Amino acid sequence: MIRRLFALPLLLGLFLIFAIALLDYQTLYQDSARVFYQTYGYLQTGSLNLVTAIYLDYRLLDTLFEAGILLIAVTGVSWIAQHDNVEHNPLFMLDRFKIPELFVSLARIIYPIVLLFGIYVVFNGHLAPGGGFQGGAILATALLILYYIDLKKKTNLQRIFTIEKWLYLLLVGISMISFFTRGVWFTNFIPLEGDLLLKSIFLITLNLIIGAKVALGLTAIFIAFLKEGR
Amino acid sequence: MNGWLGILLQIFLIITAIAVVFHKNHFTIIILMSVFSLIAATLYMINQAPDVAIAEVAINAAIIPLIYVIAISRQRELIVYDKLQHGAIDPQQPLVGEIYQYLEDFSNKHKLKLNICCDLVGNDQTVVRDLNVDILVDLDAKQKQYILKGKSSNVLMKKMMKDLKGKTNVRFEMIEEGENLD
Repeated sequence: MIRRLFALPLLLGLFLIFAIALLDYQTLYQDSARVFYQTYGYLQTGSLNLVTAIYLDYRLLDTLFEAGILLIAVTGVSWIAQHDNVEHNPLFMLDRFKIPELFVSLARIIYPIVLLFGIYVVFNGHLAPGGGFQGGAILATALLILYYIDLKKKTNLQRIFTIEKWLYLLLVGISMISFFTRGVWFTNFIPLEGDLLLKSIFLITLNLIIGAKVALGLTAIFIAFLKEGR
Repeated sequence: MNGWLGILLQIFLIITAIAVVFHKNHFTIIILMSVFSLIAATLYMINQAPDVAIAEVAINAAIIPLIYVIAISRQRELIVYDKLQHGAIDPQQPLVGEIYQYLEDFSNKHKLKLNICCDLVGNDQTVVRDLNVDILVDLDAKQKQYILKGKSSNVLMKKMMKDLKGKTNVRFEMIEEGENLD
């Protein structure tokens, strides 16, 4: 009860702070960054989607750490869910784990469409809304549906982790090339005055790697959940 | 927030959030959560953030519910490791014996899915710890008693002890949990 009474002034204080911020909106509001990105974003990075321009060019270092955090999260989940003893027959639970027929038949129709849409979102990350993370999540959804269709599907988790580690190294490596071509760390390796179409090669490559990494990572977490308790 | 659509969607958002908190059925809650994130994604779209909307739909309306479905269906099972090797040769063979009747009654009473398996490898402690087996069934031939083993911290084990208190042909044994590193 006392804790709840304590929460009330806290909420009121938060409300006051936000109200004051709203009153000072005109003085706080600065659109210099927006104007900069709208004027130079496409010309400097070759990306029509300004979000992609920021996370794959201006702030690539942040993206690298984000990808690293996903890698650490996947590793942690797999470490918690690991089993010491041999799974003599890992299928013993599946014959009683019934999934509705309707879900399975619908999933069979939807699966290729979702896969195609995910690849489309990854490839068009620099032209339309989307990108590596979003497309990777859609691809992961398609791969998870596969596990509901065929419950006896076996996956080598260790291989997924190996691929993901190498993809992360590749991501860091490709983003470091710019130091040798432009003299700047972690940005596009095509010079600033270069052709816009050439610049999109870099964007597509990085989007593909990030998409594959996210899809594999989310699938690995799901498989760890599926194996837990078998 | 632009126009009446935004306000309407925000009201729906609040209603769904309250429904998630107060609903009792787990699977309905999962559906409500994905409805919540679909409404949130529409709001992001109205506020000109299509990238965030795509991520919201893909993660919170598809992947998280799929993971929750797996996790909750694991929770509703009573996993029994049958050391008597019933059904090891023919899995379809009907399980005959008093103990199976007890287990079935117990799982029906608490609305659990009974899962009896007999093909696990490993000693009692590793099976209980690593494979989440709730109860191990063994037979004491001398005293003609069934032995039910389980983790001392397992909730289902405690409930079962309460239910089968008067039965003379059942004996309970606790597996103490060793020091765990994590």
